[in-house]
Amino acid sequence: MHFFRVIRWIAWKDLLSEYRNRENISSMFFFALNVILIFSFSFSLDSETIKEIMPGIIWVAFGFTAIIGLGKSFLIEVNNDCMEYFQTLPIPKGAIYLGKFLGNLLFMLTVEIVLFPLFVLFFNLDMIDQFLQLLLISTVATIGLSALGTLFSALTVQIRAREVMFPILLLPLSVPIFIGAVEATRGVLNADAFSLYSHWIELLVVFDVIFVIVSFWIFEFILDY
Amino acid sequence: MNAILGTSLSKSFQHYQVLKEVSISVQAGECYALFGPNGAGKTTLLRIFATLHRPSSGSFEIMGMDGKRDRVKVRDVIYLIGHGSYLYDDLSVKENIQFAIGIRGWNPTEAEIKKALDQVGIGRFARLRSRYLSAGMKKRLSIAKALLIRPKVLFLDEGYASLDERGVGMMNECIRSFTQAGSAVLMTTHDRGPTADVAHRVGVLNRSVLTEISVKDMVTADALF
Repeated sequence: MHFFRVIRWIAWKDLLSEYRNRENISSMFFFALNVILIFSFSFSLDSETIKEIMPGIIWVAFGFTAIIGLGKSFLIEVNNDCMEYFQTLPIPKGAIYLGKFLGNLLFMLTVEIVLFPLFVLFFNLDMIDQFLQLLLISTVATIGLSALGTLFSALTVQIRAREVMFPILLLPLSVPIFIGAVEATRGVLNADAFSLYSHWIELLVVFDVIFVIVSFWIFEFILDY
Repeated sequence: MNAILGTSLSKSFQHYQVLKEVSISVQAGECYALFGPNGAGKTTLLRIFATLHRPSSGSFEIMGMDGKRDRVKVRDVIYLIGHGSYLYDDLSVKENIQFAIGIRGWNPTEAEIKKALDQVGIGRFARLRSRYLSAGMKKRLSIAKALLIRPKVLFLDEGYASLDERGVGMMNECIRSFTQAGSAVLMTTHDRGPTADVAHRVGVLNRSVLTEISVKDMVTADALF
């Protein structure tokens, strides 16, 4: 039970800190807003064509937002040597990873949920009916992104070139997530039957499971010596 | 009983040997003060015992447990007050304590937290965010955490640094309460005056050689190294 309490404490601490300083979430939001604005003014397409490119725009916004948010995830632990405190704790280090992962997942989902109405507004899309399906895809894809992002944020936080190294590590491994997310989102926006794009969601779930388990296991070695 | 036992500990960073075959023992209920010039390896020795560094060679035991093999169990009985404050800037003093103790699996009551904070003289700042604390107040907060955790082995790295006269007195009170309760305290310091009030044994680490001297010699000697 202590394992789950550690997860809860870490997530509580991250969410409370973020709620108070809003550093991460605001930079994520304004970056994504910029992407949406630039794309919306760049294209003046009919509604059918916009549905074709919309999945790409959505996941470009979400992907780069993830880079900004997740990359800073462990900076809070470096300030005041909190990482050192974690190292000396008699707790499974994987629980710390899962706590950070949970916090990151909630940040990202919050930003994504706030961004959905902006996609509707700026691209004149009718996505309201498909909101639940899009939320499902976002959640499943964001779990994978957060799993990888949390791990690589921990790996790169102590190095000087972390802003460069973080996306270099994250983006190649995130390719299957982006492919799955874009294809599934396209299915939803085209109002396809669920069975026609559900295999992409299944693929995302498989990658989620792999990424969470592998990251959980690797994290122990990152934090312990 | 040996609470801390280091045998022939060596540690190198790149090609620089910081510790060479250093052996040390601290009994339960004893306060051992470690002096030495900057770069002598005092902090490194402390960090080895706190399971933050792995020694290049040699072995160590904490409360009879092997420091390398049983390091998770060792972490259950130790607490380090190091150079970092291990605080989250956007959490209040009280929330920082709740987090630091809670993550170890114990939820102190409001009264216990208040008592510990009052004991170190920062009770009235319980709701203040820790980003506004001075270095001395942060050190006092670390002492409050130690008072709540009550470890069997306490490591103090430059324990008196940043503390004012009253703070030094509180630190000594804390050390005395630990040793009287049977805990061992290993501290690195440069302050001979306050150390004389609490130390049972004194060692001088210089050029990788640990020489034990009496508390009286520590006080009266013109120079320790």
